[in-house]
Amino acid sequence: MKCLLISSQSAEVLFHWTDPEFYQNVQAQYGASQEDGHGLPAFEDSISTLFAPIIISCITMVDRLGDSYTSFTTENNHIYVLHQFDECLYIAVNGDGEEGEGDLRRKIYVMKKMIEVMFGMVTLSSNLLKRELRPQDTEQRARLWEHLQSLLETYSHLRENDQSFLVEAVERLIHPTLCEQCIEFLERRLVQQLNSSVERAGEEVLHAFILVHTKLLAFYSSRNASTLSTSDLLSLIIMSQNMYPSNTDQDDPNPEDIESTSGSGPESFYTPEPSPTDMDSRSSDMPVRESTPLFEFVDPDVQMAEDSLHTLEVPPPDPSTPRRVFLEVSLKDGLFPMMPHSMYCLPLWPGITLVLLTKIPTSAVAMSVYTFLEAFAKLEKRLNEGQEGPAATRGQPTIHDIRSKLDKFIKALGASEIQSAQLQNVWTDFKNRIGRGGPGFNRELIRSCKNMKTQLCGVYRQCFLIESGTADSPRRLSPGLQERAQTMVQDKLMDWKDFLLVKSKRNITMVSYLEDFPGLIHFICVDRSTGQMIAPSLNITERNVSELGKGPLAQFIKSKVWSLVSTTRRYLQKGYSTVTLRDGDFYFCYFLWFENETGYKLEAGDIPVLPDDSAPIGMLAWDYYRKLLRYYSKNHQGEVVKCYELLTVHLGVIPTEVILQHCRQLASKLWEPSRNPLL
Amino acid sequence: MAELVLPYSRRCNYFFLYDGSKVRGESDQTREGICYFYPEETPLDRQELLCGQLAGAGRCVSELSSSPVRILNLHRNRFAIRMEDDLLWALGCSVESPHRQCLYQLNSQETLASRWAQYLSHLQSGSSELQHIFSCLTTIDSTNVDPLLLLKAALILQACQRCPLVLAGCILFKGRVVSTQMSPQLTMKVMVHESGTYTKPQRPNGQSSSFGSAVSSTAVFLTPSELQYLQSTPVDKDFSSHSTPHKNTPLKKTRLSRTLSDTPSSTESEPSDPGSSQSPQKLLSPHLSESSVYSSDPSQSTPNPPPPQSPEPPLSNGKHSPVEESLEESYYHSFHSNGEGGSQIDNGGDSSAFGENSHLNGGGVDGACGEEFNFRVAKESHDNKVSEEVSGRGCGRVQGHEVETPDPPRSDAFEHPGESPLIPMTLYLHRVKGLVLALLVEPHFLSDKASMEEVYHSSLASLNGLEAHLRSVSPGVPGAPGPYIFAHFDCIQSTLTSNLSGRPGGAPERPFVRATSLLHSHFCNTETLQEAIIRSAGAAVYGTRSVAQETYFQQHGGSLRNSGIPNHQDSAFSLPGKARHRLLKHGVNLL
Repeated sequence: MKCLLISSQSAEVLFHWTDPEFYQNVQAQYGASQEDGHGLPAFEDSISTLFAPIIISCITMVDRLGDSYTSFTTENNHIYVLHQFDECLYIAVNGDGEEGEGDLRRKIYVMKKMIEVMFGMVTLSSNLLKRELRPQDTEQRARLWEHLQSLLETYSHLRENDQSFLVEAVERLIHPTLCEQCIEFLERRLVQQLNSSVERAGEEVLHAFILVHTKLLAFYSSRNASTLSTSDLLSLIIMSQNMYPSNTDQDDPNPEDIESTSGSGPESFYTPEPSPTDMDSRSSDMPVRESTPLFEFVDPDVQMAEDSLHTLEVPPPDPSTPRRVFLEVSLKDGLFPMMPHSMYCLPLWPGITLVLLTKIPTSAVAMSVYTFLEAFAKLEKRLNEGQEGPAATRGQPTIHDIRSKLDKFIKALGASEIQSAQLQNVWTDFKNRIGRGGPGFNRELIRSCKNMKTQLCGVYRQCFLIESGTADSPRRLSPGLQERAQTMVQDKLMDWKDFLLVKSKRNITMVSYLEDFPGLIHFICVDRSTGQMIAPSLNITERNVSELGKGPLAQFIKSKVWSLVSTTRRYLQKGYSTVTLRDGDFYFCYFLWFENETGYKLEAGDIPVLPDDSAPIGMLAWDYYRKLLRYYSKNHQGEVVKCYELLTVHLGVIPTEVILQHCRQLASKLWEPSRNPLL
Repeated sequence: MAELVLPYSRRCNYFFLYDGSKVRGESDQTREGICYFYPEETPLDRQELLCGQLAGAGRCVSELSSSPVRILNLHRNRFAIRMEDDLLWALGCSVESPHRQCLYQLNSQETLASRWAQYLSHLQSGSSELQHIFSCLTTIDSTNVDPLLLLKAALILQACQRCPLVLAGCILFKGRVVSTQMSPQLTMKVMVHESGTYTKPQRPNGQSSSFGSAVSSTAVFLTPSELQYLQSTPVDKDFSSHSTPHKNTPLKKTRLSRTLSDTPSSTESEPSDPGSSQSPQKLLSPHLSESSVYSSDPSQSTPNPPPPQSPEPPLSNGKHSPVEESLEESYYHSFHSNGEGGSQIDNGGDSSAFGENSHLNGGGVDGACGEEFNFRVAKESHDNKVSEEVSGRGCGRVQGHEVETPDPPRSDAFEHPGESPLIPMTLYLHRVKGLVLALLVEPHFLSDKASMEEVYHSSLASLNGLEAHLRSVSPGVPGAPGPYIFAHFDCIQSTLTSNLSGRPGGAPERPFVRATSLLHSHFCNTETLQEAIIRSAGAAVYGTRSVAQETYFQQHGGSLRNSGIPNHQDSAFSLPGKARHRLLKHGVNLL
């Protein structure tokens, strides 16, 4: 009994996903008379009718009380979680007890994140986003919704089964020699060749990485690329898993190989440098600024160039067509959210995938649009706060500053195939208005700001969401080039393929810890500054037996680990960074601490206390830890602060002192100052 | 953090009852469905907004899930909801209130009727945040009181019980429990009622007028499980100097008698009640169990083997039905025959307090946690409430409801065939200045002059003496804040011991109270959890629990400077040992 619904304020369904039970429940309630044979339209109507009273009540409450529903719980323990982003209301429902309020809220935020990755800054204009999410053409709509639905299902599956998606950090394959070789290969051979080829059609490969299931074998970023954020990387892993799902039950060649291949002894393991661009330096040299500002577009009757509104073409199922993804870019002059990239997901073998992220030739337009959007949003904010028009326009950045830039920008657009006449008109209107003043000036100017923002989002949409280029010469790495890249990496990894598939299931094993840590059952260690985690495997499938075996015990431990993570998050949300629990026959520990770059343990600081309905703690949808690090770093100016987490599960009979000693050893052993896990 | 220091009244934001059946047609206005709204000064359009929207959204969700909404959260408010047919009860508090507390209030909301304010004042009266977290009874500070006085109080109660019409009682002093023979939940309800009558001028009562204004009585209703619990208390009636004729009446015959006044159900059901094992006795306060040695008669429990410790009423259908049959009549009896006249309806409202929550009463730990609750009687209390609204507030509408008042128990029996109806009883209150003797008695006790006089006179002198002693006890001087804070919650007796109690929550204690609240919820949600240590930048708190108790401990001072990295020398991890050691002198044994 699960459901996720996105609705507009007028109770129009913008997206829905239901599991079969919920689907049947809705159909049953709406009555079998409703031509269920017709599938989508009928179901969409019934779900819309059933939820409409809640949606409308929500809007009424916001309007009249300035407060709205965040959740409902019924007596049979069905949970409804509601969250409004701009003008889109998200409702997540669970009626089978498998998800709590926190899980549902996380799901909502993840859905929003996936939509941002797919639609970029168009999400900043509710009007445009509504049209994107609900194409007029029912076939297109069905295709888009199916894609989003399967993304959501992929995510849910990963969150329930994959530890790296449980704690929302990336897991690396621990095989230093091979990792190093692969990174070198990606750098010297693959990316260099691709970027020097004429068949790249102006695109430039920025990042290349190899995934074995959800685990990272090698990651390379070119020298002039910005860091890929953990949130984006996790989203891309979900997308690639969605395209090429790991059938974890079948592609496990011969589990007996494990011992022979990983028997080289723990001391020989280390993780190579990820890439020349140090992922960790971001937190220090990146200018501190607020995350994506929220733009508001509340004017429903914004004029848009009609011809620019024909719906987005859903990419045809041509495998060589890249996915357009919008990712955060941090440059010297600032942090730019939702910058367009192309994502090429090239399957090497089942379970092993090469992912290329390219910068597209027109991406500079996106930066300009973002700069303008930000300026208008700030102006609008100042106006809303009651600053008088003339004073408001002199705030930073002044309208003067952007005036000439915007003029030039529009002029340049005029020369391109982008339709910008409407933007030109609104801009002219804005310039006229700003000189005028008089009564009602602020109100008019706010309206103008909103118009400008909508038009800018419209231009952005034309540039990056509508397939550009002609049918014969699409703008992308040529299929031949993609194929060559695929073959190159296949050749390189041919001998390792089977090993990698096994290794990804037995990345590190508890066996190697039993001697040093008697009584330790499981642990997870996360480096929140790099967004990486390590943990012994906990795969429990029919064919894949973990060290705990399969059946009830393994399942029990797994469920304990999953619930421990959600428990500790709840305590962390309320400001507790150390938690130990004696629960049944087990003893659980959780620690969060800060270190500086040299590994010196910093004093525990205040952790902000957040409300119950705050954004979920994690790194995928909303980077809690980045904010935590920023908050903590305020008192550690000029120092690189790192944040770590350790979770352990011990047998309850082990004396507490011993357990704590284990935790201490694990904490210092797993993440040495060099950040090379000694496994 | 600041939000937690809000006075209680601020945290209890809204309470309303909305009747959707009155707002059916297009022309019906939302305000017509609003039966009661707290705070009353809320502008009507806001009342309408909240009632209308919450009812509408609640109905929609209920239909989707085929189950009524229980909890509804807004960004700034949290509502406990009870939906039954067209009725919607909602109790709102700010979201910072712990979940459990919200539920607890929901439990009690049906007791409120127009006395919501009375209940609020009860909640606000001098109890600390900690006590709210556990929803526990406020007891007198036994450390400052001569134990002999507690023993004396227990003896008074036992002396009263020699009269076979007296089921059980409690003694309260200035809103605190001195001694009780009832379950914590029932005691709580008596206290809510008592605090309401405390400030009122005493109304001379028909039967008790000869005893002056010190004595009053009111009709109350018990659930069968509450009654069973009371009856299971081993009481030696053989010492009773006043032998009633019913005593010797064969059981089955009395059961068939037509009125309850002929049927002292205490004697009637006692032999058939298998619950007189040792277990209920353990549930009583230490004062009582201590002294019950004097009066317990082992032979009392021999006829029936001790049952499995089931809190459920063990009545079979066969035994049950006569009670049901006589119910309607008895209801009338309690309402119309004891001649309280005008005060009747007022009391009727409160009386539902005693019919409230059968689950809580057997429930021990569960009940104290308020995890589950039973709203079975919402309907009755609603009806009572509406009628009170009408008579008390003069809204002038729905006179018909008054007529309906006698119906509920019956309709309840019809609507919930599997559940037991309520049993009418009488609450007898004897007040001596700040001291109150509250006794649950058979309804016909009031008409039994001899019994009343016996109870009155046998206890009068002792009550006076007890009052004088308690009054002279100096209010415990809050000791200098020690090097540690602790709270010890007895889940069975629902009492709290703490070196914080009484003091208003000051800043240094905030972290402790916050941590305790979080840990308590965690303990309630996770059955297998035995102990926990949590640390924020400000404080490390240790919590441990067993079936019978929860203990929380925080050590002051010591270096809080730590890196948060696992370290076995960290002072936080020495808390369990320190707690065990330090709390021994408070009578808390954590071994």
